[in-house]
Amino acid sequence: MEKISKPTEIKHQLGHMEVDHYHYTVGLAGERFFTALREEGKLLGARCESCGVTYIPPRIYCEECFAELDEYVDLGLEGEVRSFTIARIDRDGRPLDPPEIRALISFGEDTTDLLHLLGEVEPEEVYIGMEVEAVLKPKREREGKVTDIRYFRPIK
Amino acid sequence: MKEVAVVGAGMTLFASRMMETGKELCWEAAKQALDEAGLSLQEIDAVIMGTAPDAFDGIHKKGENLLDGAGGANKPYMRVYTGGGTAVMTPIAGWWHIASGMFDTVLVVNEEKMSSARPHAQSVFAHIWDPILDRPLRPNLVWIFAMEMQRYMHKYNVRKEDIALVSVKNKRNAVDHPCAQLADPKITVEDVLNSEPMALPVRRLDISPPSDGASALVLASLDVAREICPDRIVTIDGVGWCIDTTMWTNRDLAFPKFLARAADQAYRMAGIKDPKKEIHIAEPYDPFNYKELQHMEGLLLCEPGEAAILTREGVTQRDGRLPVCPSGGLLGVGNPIAATMGIKVGEIYWQLARKAGKRQVRNDPVTGVCQAWGDLMQFSSVLVMRRR
Ligand SMILES: [Zn+2]
Repeated sequence: MEKISKPTEIKHQLGHMEVDHYHYTVGLAGERFFTALREEGKLLGARCESCGVTYIPPRIYCEECFAELDEYVDLGLEGEVRSFTIARIDRDGRPLDPPEIRALISFGEDTTDLLHLLGEVEPEEVYIGMEVEAVLKPKREREGKVTDIRYFRPIK
Repeated sequence: MKEVAVVGAGMTLFASRMMETGKELCWEAAKQALDEAGLSLQEIDAVIMGTAPDAFDGIHKKGENLLDGAGGANKPYMRVYTGGGTAVMTPIAGWWHIASGMFDTVLVVNEEKMSSARPHAQSVFAHIWDPILDRPLRPNLVWIFAMEMQRYMHKYNVRKEDIALVSVKNKRNAVDHPCAQLADPKITVEDVLNSEPMALPVRRLDISPPSDGASALVLASLDVAREICPDRIVTIDGVGWCIDTTMWTNRDLAFPKFLARAADQAYRMAGIKDPKKEIHIAEPYDPFNYKELQHMEGLLLCEPGEAAILTREGVTQRDGRLPVCPSGGLLGVGNPIAATMGIKVGEIYWQLARKAGKRQVRNDPVTGVCQAWGDLMQFSSVLVMRRR
Protein backbone atom coordinates (compact mmCIF):
# COMPACT_ATOMS: atom_id res chain seq x y z
CA MET A 1 0.00 0.00 0.00
CA GLU A 2 1.29 3.46 -0.85
CA LYS A 3 -0.09 6.60 0.68
CA ILE A 4 -0.63 9.58 -1.61
CA SER A 5 0.91 12.87 -0.53
CA LYS A 6 0.61 14.88 -3.77
CA PRO A 7 -2.52 13.74 -5.68
CA THR A 8 -1.73 15.78 -8.80
CA GLU A 9 1.66 14.15 -9.34
CA ILE A 10 0.44 10.57 -9.65
CA LYS A 11 -0.83 9.29 -13.00
CA HIS A 12 -4.56 9.72 -13.23
CA GLN A 13 -7.43 10.31 -15.60
CA LEU A 14 -9.89 13.17 -15.01
CA GLY A 15 -13.54 12.28 -15.48
CA HIS A 16 -16.95 13.85 -15.07
CA MET A 17 -20.52 12.58 -15.06
CA GLU A 18 -21.98 13.29 -18.48
CA VAL A 19 -25.66 13.68 -17.62
CA ASP A 20 -26.32 17.37 -18.05
CA HIS A 21 -29.57 17.59 -16.06
CA TYR A 22 -32.73 15.67 -15.18
CA HIS A 23 -36.30 16.20 -16.24
CA TYR A 24 -38.53 14.93 -13.42
CA THR A 25 -42.22 14.66 -14.31
CA VAL A 26 -44.59 15.45 -11.43
CA GLY A 27 -46.88 12.59 -12.45
CA LEU A 28 -50.66 12.30 -12.79
CA ALA A 29 -51.53 13.28 -9.21
CA GLY A 30 -48.78 15.92 -9.23
CA GLU A 31 -50.38 17.60 -12.25
CA ARG A 32 -53.61 18.03 -10.25
CA PHE A 33 -51.85 19.24 -7.10
CA PHE A 34 -49.55 21.79 -8.71
CA THR A 35 -52.20 23.11 -11.12
CA ALA A 36 -54.61 23.75 -8.21
CA LEU A 37 -51.82 25.44 -6.24
CA ARG A 38 -50.82 27.72 -9.10
CA GLU A 39 -54.27 28.55 -10.49
CA GLU A 40 -56.49 28.52 -7.41
CA GLY A 41 -54.07 28.83 -4.49
CA LYS A 42 -55.44 25.55 -3.07
CA LEU A 43 -53.73 22.62 -1.36
CA LEU A 44 -55.31 19.36 -2.55
CA GLY A 45 -55.12 15.94 -0.93
CA ALA A 46 -56.40 12.52 -1.99
CA ARG A 47 -58.51 10.45 0.37
CA CYS A 48 -58.57 6.67 0.81
CA GLU A 49 -61.89 5.96 2.54
CA SER A 50 -61.16 2.32 3.34
CA CYS A 51 -57.87 3.12 5.12
CA GLY A 52 -59.03 6.49 6.45
CA VAL A 53 -55.90 8.26 5.20
CA THR A 54 -55.59 11.53 3.28
CA TYR A 55 -52.38 11.98 1.28
CA ILE A 56 -50.87 15.42 0.75
CA PRO A 57 -49.66 15.88 -1.92
CA PRO A 58 -52.31 13.62 -3.46
CA ARG A 59 -51.53 10.27 -5.09
CA ILE A 60 -53.26 8.09 -7.64
CA TYR A 61 -52.97 5.09 -5.29
CA CYS A 62 -53.16 4.31 -1.59
CA GLU A 63 -49.86 2.83 -0.46
CA GLU A 64 -51.59 0.80 2.28
CA CYS A 65 -54.30 -0.98 0.26
CA PHE A 66 -53.37 -0.10 -3.38
CA ALA A 67 -56.85 1.32 -4.09
CA GLU A 68 -57.02 3.80 -6.94
CA LEU A 69 -57.58 7.29 -5.52
CA ASP A 70 -59.53 9.73 -7.64
CA GLU A 71 -61.24 11.80 -4.97
CA TYR A 72 -59.41 15.09 -4.46
CA VAL A 73 -60.18 17.16 -1.37
CA ASP A 74 -59.34 20.80 -0.59
CA LEU A 75 -57.37 20.72 2.67
CA GLY A 76 -57.37 24.48 3.22
CA LEU A 77 -54.22 26.45 4.00
CA GLU A 78 -54.10 25.92 7.77
CA GLY A 79 -52.28 23.23 9.71
CA GLU A 80 -50.09 22.68 12.74
CA VAL A 81 -46.42 22.01 13.39
CA ARG A 82 -45.75 18.31 14.07
CA SER A 83 -41.97 18.66 14.26
CA PHE A 84 -39.34 21.28 13.36
CA THR A 85 -35.64 22.09 13.23
CA ILE A 86 -33.76 25.37 13.28
CA ALA A 87 -30.86 25.25 10.80
CA ARG A 88 -28.00 27.57 11.80
CA ILE A 89 -25.34 26.45 9.28
CA ASP A 90 -25.72 25.43 5.64
CA ARG A 91 -24.42 22.30 3.87
CA ASP A 92 -20.95 23.83 3.53
CA GLY A 93 -20.80 24.90 7.15
CA ARG A 94 -21.48 28.61 6.56
CA PRO A 95 -23.65 30.43 9.14
CA LEU A 96 -27.31 30.97 8.23
CA ASP A 97 -28.43 34.36 9.50
CA PRO A 98 -31.31 34.50 10.06
CA PRO A 99 -31.55 30.75 10.72
CA GLU A 100 -33.90 28.67 8.53
CA ILE A 101 -36.78 26.91 10.24
CA ARG A 102 -37.97 23.71 8.55
CA ALA A 103 -41.10 21.98 9.75
CA LEU A 104 -43.48 19.10 9.14
CA ILE A 105 -46.96 20.57 8.75
CA SER A 106 -49.93 18.41 9.68
CA PHE A 107 -53.36 19.00 8.14
CA GLY A 108 -55.22 16.64 10.47
CA GLU A 109 -54.73 13.40 12.39
CA ASP A 110 -55.41 11.05 9.49
CA THR A 111 -53.41 13.12 6.96
CA THR A 112 -49.79 12.74 5.87
CA ASP A 113 -47.46 15.71 6.56
CA LEU A 114 -46.06 18.34 4.23
CA LEU A 115 -42.43 19.44 4.60
CA HIS A 116 -41.95 23.23 4.39
CA LEU A 117 -40.39 26.37 5.88
CA LEU A 118 -41.67 28.56 8.70
CA GLY A 119 -41.53 32.38 8.43
CA GLU A 120 -42.62 35.53 10.28
CA VAL A 121 -41.67 33.82 13.54
CA GLU A 122 -38.64 33.89 15.87
CA PRO A 123 -36.88 30.52 16.30
CA GLU A 124 -37.43 30.49 20.07
CA GLU A 125 -41.20 31.02 19.58
CA VAL A 126 -41.76 27.81 17.58
CA TYR A 127 -43.35 24.85 19.35
CA ILE A 128 -44.93 21.52 18.42
CA GLY A 129 -48.64 22.01 17.97
CA MET A 130 -48.29 25.64 16.84
CA GLU A 131 -51.08 26.57 14.44
CA VAL A 132 -49.79 27.88 11.13
CA GLU A 133 -51.08 29.02 7.73
CA ALA A 134 -49.54 28.94 4.26
CA VAL A 135 -48.28 32.20 2.75
CA LEU A 136 -48.48 31.86 -1.04
CA LYS A 137 -46.63 33.84 -3.68
CA PRO A 138 -48.90 36.19 -5.66
CA LYS A 139 -50.58 34.33 -8.52
CA ARG A 140 -48.49 35.91 -11.30
CA GLU A 141 -45.29 34.62 -9.63
CA ARG A 142 -46.54 31.07 -9.09
CA GLU A 143 -44.98 28.36 -11.28
CA GLY A 144 -46.72 25.20 -10.12
CA LYS A 145 -43.95 24.19 -7.69
CA VAL A 146 -43.81 23.48 -3.98
CA THR A 147 -42.00 26.82 -3.61
CA ASP A 148 -45.22 28.59 -4.70
CA ILE A 149 -45.80 28.40 -0.94
CA ARG A 150 -43.29 30.92 0.48
CA TYR A 151 -43.56 29.51 4.00
CA PHE A 152 -46.04 28.82 6.81
CA ARG A 153 -46.53 31.48 9.52
CA PRO A 154 -48.23 31.43 12.92
CA ILE A 155 -51.96 32.19 12.89
CA LYS A 156 -52.33 35.38 14.90
CA MET B 1 -37.39 -26.53 -1.25
CA LYS B 2 -40.89 -25.21 -1.98
CA GLU B 3 -42.20 -25.23 -5.54
CA VAL B 4 -43.08 -21.78 -6.94
CA ALA B 5 -45.76 -20.68 -9.44
CA VAL B 6 -46.47 -17.49 -11.35
CA VAL B 7 -50.08 -16.49 -10.64
CA GLY B 8 -50.35 -13.01 -12.18
CA ALA B 9 -48.59 -10.54 -14.45
CA GLY B 10 -49.07 -6.94 -15.51
CA MET B 11 -47.32 -4.21 -17.45
CA THR B 12 -47.76 -0.58 -18.50
CA LEU B 13 -47.46 0.85 -21.96
CA PHE B 14 -43.82 1.14 -23.05
CA ALA B 15 -43.15 4.63 -24.49
CA SER B 16 -40.22 6.95 -25.03
CA ARG B 17 -41.58 9.51 -22.54
CA MET B 18 -44.24 8.96 -19.89
CA MET B 19 -45.95 11.63 -17.79
CA GLU B 20 -46.34 9.27 -14.82
CA THR B 21 -43.73 9.24 -12.05
CA GLY B 22 -41.76 6.02 -11.57
CA LYS B 23 -43.92 5.21 -8.54
CA GLU B 24 -47.12 5.67 -10.54
CA LEU B 25 -45.82 3.35 -13.28
CA CYS B 26 -44.96 0.73 -10.63
CA TRP B 27 -48.44 0.91 -9.13
CA GLU B 28 -50.18 0.55 -12.50
CA ALA B 29 -48.23 -2.63 -13.32
CA ALA B 30 -48.41 -4.08 -9.80
CA LYS B 31 -52.14 -3.49 -9.52
CA GLN B 32 -52.77 -5.35 -12.80
CA ALA B 33 -50.68 -8.32 -11.66
CA LEU B 34 -52.50 -8.48 -8.30
CA ASP B 35 -55.89 -8.24 -10.01
CA GLU B 36 -54.99 -11.12 -12.33
CA ALA B 37 -53.84 -13.19 -9.33
CA GLY B 38 -57.00 -12.27 -7.43
CA LEU B 39 -54.92 -11.17 -4.44
CA SER B 40 -54.93 -7.93 -2.47
CA LEU B 41 -51.75 -6.12 -1.43
CA GLN B 42 -52.42 -7.19 2.17
CA GLU B 43 -52.08 -10.84 1.07
CA ILE B 44 -48.54 -10.27 -0.26
CA ASP B 45 -45.74 -11.37 2.11
CA ALA B 46 -42.74 -9.64 0.49
CA VAL B 47 -41.87 -7.34 -2.42
CA ILE B 48 -38.89 -7.43 -4.80
CA MET B 49 -37.98 -4.35 -6.85
CA GLY B 50 -35.86 -4.39 -9.99
CA THR B 51 -34.58 -1.21 -11.60
CA ALA B 52 -31.43 -0.17 -13.48
CA PRO B 53 -28.83 2.49 -12.60
CA ASP B 54 -30.06 5.30 -10.33
CA ALA B 55 -28.56 7.67 -12.89
CA PHE B 56 -31.42 7.09 -15.37
CA ASP B 57 -34.17 8.37 -13.08
CA GLY B 58 -31.77 10.81 -11.38
CA ILE B 59 -32.86 9.68 -7.92
CA HIS B 60 -30.16 8.16 -5.78
CA LYS B 61 -31.45 5.01 -4.04
CA LYS B 62 -34.35 4.92 -6.46
CA GLY B 63 -35.38 1.46 -5.29
CA GLU B 64 -36.31 3.10 -1.99
CA ASN B 65 -38.00 5.99 -3.78
CA LEU B 66 -40.18 3.60 -5.80
CA LEU B 67 -41.14 1.31 -2.94
CA ASP B 68 -44.56 2.69 -2.02
CA GLY B 69 -45.73 2.50 -5.64
CA ALA B 70 -44.47 -1.08 -5.73
CA GLY B 71 -46.45 -1.99 -2.61
CA GLY B 72 -43.35 -2.41 -0.45
CA ALA B 73 -44.30 -0.11 2.45
CA ASN B 74 -44.15 -2.01 5.74
CA LYS B 75 -43.13 -5.28 4.10
CA PRO B 76 -39.86 -7.18 3.64
CA TYR B 77 -38.49 -5.42 0.54
CA MET B 78 -35.29 -5.59 -1.46
CA ARG B 79 -33.93 -4.24 -4.72
CA VAL B 80 -32.16 -6.44 -7.23
CA TYR B 81 -29.98 -4.99 -9.95
CA THR B 82 -27.99 -6.72 -12.70
CA GLY B 83 -28.41 -4.13 -15.50
CA GLY B 84 -30.49 -5.50 -18.39
CA GLY B 85 -30.27 -8.91 -16.69
CA THR B 86 -32.56 -7.51 -13.97
CA ALA B 87 -35.57 -8.35 -16.16
CA VAL B 88 -35.18 -12.05 -15.32
CA MET B 89 -33.06 -11.74 -12.15
CA THR B 90 -35.79 -10.10 -10.01
CA PRO B 91 -38.19 -12.99 -10.62
CA ILE B 92 -35.35 -15.36 -9.70
CA ALA B 93 -34.96 -13.44 -6.43
CA GLY B 94 -38.73 -13.69 -5.97
CA TRP B 95 -38.44 -17.43 -6.58
CA TRP B 96 -35.81 -17.94 -3.86
CA HIS B 97 -37.85 -15.91 -1.36
CA ILE B 98 -40.59 -18.55 -1.70
CA ALA B 99 -38.49 -21.64 -2.50
CA SER B 100 -36.54 -21.05 0.71
CA GLY B 101 -39.74 -21.45 2.71
CA MET B 102 -39.57 -17.88 4.01
CA PHE B 103 -42.69 -16.59 2.23
CA ASP B 104 -45.82 -17.83 0.39
CA THR B 105 -46.60 -14.83 -1.83
CA VAL B 106 -44.19 -12.35 -3.42
CA LEU B 107 -44.86 -9.32 -5.62
CA VAL B 108 -42.07 -8.59 -8.13
CA VAL B 109 -42.05 -5.09 -9.68
CA ASN B 110 -39.60 -3.80 -12.31
CA GLU B 111 -39.45 -0.15 -13.37
CA GLU B 112 -37.43 2.09 -15.66
CA LYS B 113 -37.74 5.74 -16.51
CA MET B 114 -35.01 6.41 -19.05
CA SER B 115 -36.42 9.73 -20.25
CA SER B 116 -35.43 11.67 -17.11
CA ALA B 117 -31.71 11.87 -17.95
CA ARG B 118 -30.81 14.68 -20.36
CA PRO B 119 -29.56 15.14 -22.98
CA HIS B 120 -30.24 11.39 -23.41
CA ALA B 121 -29.91 7.97 -21.78
CA GLN B 122 -26.57 7.41 -23.56
CA SER B 123 -25.05 10.03 -21.25
CA VAL B 124 -25.70 7.62 -18.37
CA PHE B 125 -24.15 4.69 -20.24
CA ALA B 126 -21.09 6.87 -20.92
CA HIS B 127 -19.71 6.23 -17.46
CA ILE B 128 -20.16 2.48 -17.20
CA TRP B 129 -16.79 2.09 -18.94
CA ASP B 130 -13.33 1.61 -17.41
CA PRO B 131 -12.13 5.15 -16.60
CA ILE B 132 -8.49 4.52 -17.52
CA LEU B 133 -8.63 2.37 -20.67
CA ASP B 134 -12.07 2.84 -22.25
CA ARG B 135 -13.40 6.29 -21.41
CA PRO B 136 -10.53 8.36 -22.88
CA LEU B 137 -11.52 6.77 -26.26
CA ARG B 138 -15.14 7.97 -25.81
CA PRO B 139 -16.89 4.62 -26.29
CA ASN B 140 -20.63 4.23 -26.61
CA LEU B 141 -22.73 1.12 -26.38
CA VAL B 142 -23.51 0.93 -30.07
CA TRP B 143 -19.97 0.55 -31.29
CA ILE B 144 -19.17 -2.11 -28.72
CA PHE B 145 -22.17 -4.08 -29.98
CA ALA B 146 -21.10 -3.43 -33.55
CA MET B 147 -17.78 -5.15 -32.85
CA GLU B 148 -19.53 -8.07 -31.21
CA MET B 149 -21.96 -8.37 -34.15
CA GLN B 150 -19.00 -8.27 -36.54
CA ARG B 151 -17.26 -11.17 -34.71
CA TYR B 152 -20.50 -13.16 -34.58
CA MET B 153 -21.18 -12.76 -38.31
CA HIS B 154 -17.56 -13.54 -39.19
CA LYS B 155 -17.13 -16.64 -37.04
CA TYR B 156 -20.42 -18.34 -37.94
CA ASN B 157 -20.79 -16.95 -41.44
CA VAL B 158 -24.13 -15.27 -40.65
CA ARG B 159 -25.67 -12.97 -43.25
CA LYS B 160 -26.94 -9.48 -42.45
CA GLU B 161 -30.16 -10.30 -44.33
CA ASP B 162 -30.96 -13.12 -41.90
CA ILE B 163 -30.22 -10.92 -38.90
CA ALA B 164 -32.55 -8.26 -40.31
CA LEU B 165 -35.33 -10.88 -40.38
CA VAL B 166 -35.32 -10.82 -36.57
CA SER B 167 -36.24 -7.11 -36.53
CA VAL B 168 -38.98 -7.79 -39.09
CA LYS B 169 -40.42 -10.73 -37.13
CA ASN B 170 -40.40 -8.97 -33.76
CA LYS B 171 -41.72 -5.60 -34.93
CA ARG B 172 -44.55 -7.41 -36.72
CA ASN B 173 -45.28 -9.62 -33.68
CA ALA B 174 -45.49 -6.44 -31.57
CA VAL B 175 -48.52 -5.29 -33.57
CA ASP B 176 -50.57 -7.63 -31.34
CA HIS B 177 -49.08 -6.32 -28.08
CA PRO B 178 -51.19 -3.60 -26.41
CA CYS B 179 -48.10 -2.07 -24.73
CA ALA B 180 -45.91 -1.80 -27.85
CA GLN B 181 -43.88 1.27 -28.74
CA LEU B 182 -42.32 0.24 -32.08
CA ALA B 183 -44.71 -2.16 -33.78
CA ASP B 184 -44.72 -2.05 -37.57
CA PRO B 185 -46.96 -4.39 -39.60
CA LYS B 186 -45.37 -3.42 -42.92
CA ILE B 187 -41.63 -3.46 -42.12
CA THR B 188 -39.40 -5.34 -44.59
CA VAL B 189 -35.84 -6.68 -44.60
CA GLU B 190 -34.93 -3.87 -47.01
CA ASP B 191 -36.17 -1.26 -44.50
CA VAL B 192 -33.81 -2.71 -41.87
CA LEU B 193 -30.83 -3.04 -44.23
CA ASN B 194 -31.27 0.52 -45.51
CA SER B 195 -31.99 2.22 -42.18
CA GLU B 196 -29.70 4.94 -40.83
CA PRO B 197 -26.14 3.68 -40.26
CA MET B 198 -25.08 4.15 -36.62
CA ALA B 199 -21.84 2.23 -36.06
CA LEU B 200 -21.66 -0.26 -38.91
CA PRO B 201 -22.74 -2.99 -39.21
CA VAL B 202 -25.33 -1.66 -36.72
CA ARG B 203 -28.14 0.43 -38.21
CA ARG B 204 -31.12 2.15 -36.61
CA LEU B 205 -33.60 -0.71 -37.09
CA ASP B 206 -31.18 -3.28 -35.65
CA ILE B 207 -31.69 -1.69 -32.21
CA SER B 208 -34.47 -1.44 -29.61
CA PRO B 209 -35.34 2.03 -28.31
CA PRO B 210 -34.92 3.46 -24.78
CA SER B 211 -38.32 3.50 -23.05
CA ASP B 212 -40.23 4.31 -19.89
CA GLY B 213 -42.38 1.59 -18.36
CA ALA B 214 -43.01 -0.90 -15.58
CA SER B 215 -44.01 -4.54 -15.23
CA ALA B 216 -44.97 -6.82 -12.36
CA LEU B 217 -45.44 -10.48 -11.45
CA VAL B 218 -47.13 -12.20 -8.54
CA LEU B 219 -45.39 -15.41 -7.42
CA ALA B 220 -46.87 -17.91 -4.98
CA SER B 221 -45.99 -21.26 -3.48
CA LEU B 222 -47.52 -24.14 -5.45
CA ASP B 223 -49.92 -24.85 -2.57
CA VAL B 224 -51.27 -21.29 -2.65
CA ALA B 225 -51.40 -21.30 -6.46
CA ARG B 226 -53.56 -24.46 -6.42
CA GLU B 227 -56.04 -22.63 -4.20
CA ILE B 228 -56.22 -19.31 -6.02
CA CYS B 229 -55.84 -20.29 -9.70
CA PRO B 230 -56.27 -24.05 -10.16
CA ASP B 231 -57.19 -23.40 -13.82
CA ARG B 232 -53.66 -22.26 -14.73
CA ILE B 233 -50.71 -23.72 -12.85
CA VAL B 234 -47.49 -22.37 -14.36
CA THR B 235 -44.42 -23.14 -12.28
CA ILE B 236 -40.84 -21.91 -12.23
CA ASP B 237 -38.91 -25.15 -12.62
CA GLY B 238 -35.37 -23.94 -13.26
CA VAL B 239 -33.28 -20.83 -12.65
CA GLY B 240 -29.72 -19.96 -13.57
CA TRP B 241 -27.36 -17.01 -13.85
CA CYS B 242 -23.72 -16.44 -14.71
CA ILE B 243 -21.34 -13.55 -15.47
CA ASP B 244 -18.24 -13.29 -17.71
CA THR B 245 -15.07 -11.29 -16.97
CA THR B 246 -15.12 -7.52 -16.40
CA MET B 247 -13.25 -6.43 -19.51
CA TRP B 248 -15.21 -6.84 -22.73
CA THR B 249 -11.90 -7.05 -24.61
CA ASN B 250 -11.22 -10.42 -22.93
CA ARG B 251 -14.42 -12.22 -23.90
CA ASP B 252 -15.45 -14.61 -26.67
CA LEU B 253 -17.63 -12.15 -28.57
CA ALA B 254 -19.15 -14.75 -30.92
CA PHE B 255 -20.53 -17.28 -28.43
CA PRO B 256 -21.89 -16.28 -24.97
CA LYS B 257 -20.36 -19.00 -22.78
CA PHE B 258 -21.66 -17.35 -19.61
CA LEU B 259 -25.21 -17.74 -20.94
CA ALA B 260 -24.64 -21.41 -21.82
CA ARG B 261 -23.58 -21.96 -18.20
CA ALA B 262 -26.63 -20.14 -16.82
CA ALA B 263 -28.90 -22.12 -19.17
CA ASP B 264 -27.26 -25.41 -18.25
CA GLN B 265 -27.85 -24.65 -14.56
CA ALA B 266 -31.54 -23.89 -15.19
CA TYR B 267 -32.10 -26.94 -17.44
CA ARG B 268 -30.48 -29.32 -14.96
CA MET B 269 -32.72 -27.97 -12.19
CA ALA B 270 -35.77 -28.44 -14.43
CA GLY B 271 -34.70 -31.96 -15.43
CA ILE B 272 -34.27 -30.98 -19.06
CA LYS B 273 -31.73 -33.11 -20.90
CA ASP B 274 -32.22 -31.98 -24.48
CA PRO B 275 -33.39 -28.35 -24.65
CA LYS B 276 -33.60 -28.54 -28.47
CA LYS B 277 -36.51 -30.98 -28.07
CA GLU B 278 -37.91 -30.15 -24.65
CA ILE B 279 -38.24 -26.34 -24.94
CA HIS B 280 -41.37 -25.35 -26.90
CA ILE B 281 -41.22 -21.54 -26.72
CA ALA B 282 -38.49 -18.99 -25.96
CA GLU B 283 -38.17 -15.31 -25.06
CA PRO B 284 -34.43 -14.60 -25.36
CA TYR B 285 -33.24 -11.02 -24.74
CA ASP B 286 -33.34 -9.07 -28.02
CA PRO B 287 -32.13 -5.48 -27.48
CA PHE B 288 -30.37 -5.92 -30.86
CA ASN B 289 -31.54 -8.27 -33.59
CA TYR B 290 -28.30 -10.32 -33.68
CA LYS B 291 -28.58 -10.81 -29.89
CA GLU B 292 -31.76 -12.88 -30.33
CA LEU B 293 -29.80 -15.29 -32.57
CA GLN B 294 -26.73 -15.37 -30.32
CA HIS B 295 -28.93 -15.89 -27.26
CA MET B 296 -30.86 -18.77 -28.88
CA GLU B 297 -27.46 -20.42 -29.37
CA GLY B 298 -26.33 -19.58 -25.83
CA LEU B 299 -29.60 -21.05 -24.54
CA LEU B 300 -28.57 -24.28 -26.35
CA LEU B 301 -31.76 -24.23 -28.45
CA CYS B 302 -29.63 -24.83 -31.56
CA GLU B 303 -25.97 -25.08 -32.63
CA PRO B 304 -23.80 -21.95 -32.89
CA GLY B 305 -24.56 -20.26 -36.21
CA GLU B 306 -27.80 -22.22 -36.70
CA ALA B 307 -30.24 -19.63 -35.28
CA ALA B 308 -30.10 -17.55 -38.47
CA ILE B 309 -31.05 -20.60 -40.53
CA LEU B 310 -34.00 -21.43 -38.24
CA THR B 311 -35.13 -17.80 -38.53
CA ARG B 312 -34.89 -17.87 -42.32
CA GLU B 313 -36.91 -21.12 -42.40
CA GLY B 314 -39.70 -19.59 -40.30
CA VAL B 315 -39.19 -21.96 -37.35
CA THR B 316 -39.15 -19.03 -34.90
CA GLN B 317 -42.39 -17.43 -36.08
CA ARG B 318 -45.46 -17.54 -33.87
CA ASP B 319 -46.83 -20.45 -35.91
CA GLY B 320 -43.44 -22.17 -36.16
CA ARG B 321 -42.05 -25.21 -34.35
CA LEU B 322 -40.14 -23.01 -31.84
CA PRO B 323 -41.78 -19.59 -31.46
CA VAL B 324 -39.16 -17.03 -30.39
CA CYS B 325 -40.11 -13.61 -28.99
CA PRO B 326 -43.83 -13.98 -29.77
CA SER B 327 -44.37 -10.89 -27.57
CA GLY B 328 -42.63 -8.70 -30.15
CA GLY B 329 -39.59 -8.51 -27.90
CA LEU B 330 -37.55 -5.46 -27.01
CA LEU B 331 -37.21 -4.67 -30.73
CA GLY B 332 -40.95 -4.33 -31.15
CA VAL B 333 -42.46 -3.59 -27.74
CA GLY B 334 -39.63 -1.45 -26.34
CA ASN B 335 -36.64 -1.54 -24.01
CA PRO B 336 -37.28 -0.05 -20.56
CA ILE B 337 -34.38 -2.15 -19.25
CA ALA B 338 -35.61 -3.89 -16.07
CA ALA B 339 -39.27 -3.53 -17.03
CA THR B 340 -38.76 -5.84 -20.03
CA MET B 341 -39.63 -8.55 -17.49
CA GLY B 342 -43.19 -8.11 -18.80
CA ILE B 343 -42.26 -9.28 -22.31
CA LYS B 344 -39.90 -12.04 -21.14
CA VAL B 345 -41.20 -13.74 -17.98
CA GLY B 346 -44.67 -12.21 -18.36
CA GLU B 347 -45.01 -13.41 -21.95
CA ILE B 348 -43.93 -16.99 -21.22
CA TYR B 349 -46.38 -17.09 -18.30
CA TRP B 350 -49.26 -15.77 -20.46
CA GLN B 351 -48.39 -18.17 -23.28
CA LEU B 352 -48.17 -21.26 -21.02
CA ALA B 353 -51.37 -20.18 -19.23
CA ARG B 354 -53.06 -19.79 -22.68
CA LYS B 355 -53.80 -16.15 -21.85
CA ALA B 356 -51.77 -14.46 -24.62
CA GLY B 357 -54.83 -13.58 -26.74
CA LYS B 358 -53.92 -12.54 -30.28
CA ARG B 359 -50.28 -13.39 -29.57
CA GLN B 360 -51.04 -16.98 -28.56
CA VAL B 361 -48.65 -19.37 -30.33
CA ARG B 362 -49.93 -22.37 -32.28
CA ASN B 363 -47.90 -25.25 -30.80
CA ASP B 364 -49.62 -25.21 -27.35
CA PRO B 365 -46.33 -25.10 -25.42
CA VAL B 366 -45.87 -26.82 -22.08
CA THR B 367 -42.27 -25.80 -21.35
CA GLY B 368 -40.75 -22.38 -22.06
CA VAL B 369 -37.55 -20.51 -21.37
CA CYS B 370 -36.86 -16.80 -21.00
CA GLN B 371 -33.61 -14.94 -20.58
CA ALA B 372 -32.24 -11.49 -19.95
CA TRP B 373 -28.78 -10.12 -20.53
CA GLY B 374 -26.98 -7.17 -19.08
CA ASP B 375 -24.63 -5.80 -16.43
CA LEU B 376 -21.51 -4.88 -18.47
CA MET B 377 -22.86 -6.86 -21.46
CA GLN B 378 -21.59 -10.09 -19.88
CA PHE B 379 -24.32 -11.34 -17.54
CA SER B 380 -27.30 -13.59 -18.18
CA SER B 381 -30.25 -14.76 -16.13
CA VAL B 382 -32.37 -17.72 -17.30
CA LEU B 383 -35.73 -19.02 -16.14
CA VAL B 384 -37.53 -22.22 -17.22
CA MET B 385 -41.31 -22.43 -16.77
CA ARG B 386 -43.83 -25.25 -17.19
CA ARG B 387 -47.55 -25.66 -17.35
CA ARG B 388 -48.69 -28.42 -14.97
ZN1 LIG C 1 -56.15 2.56 1.37
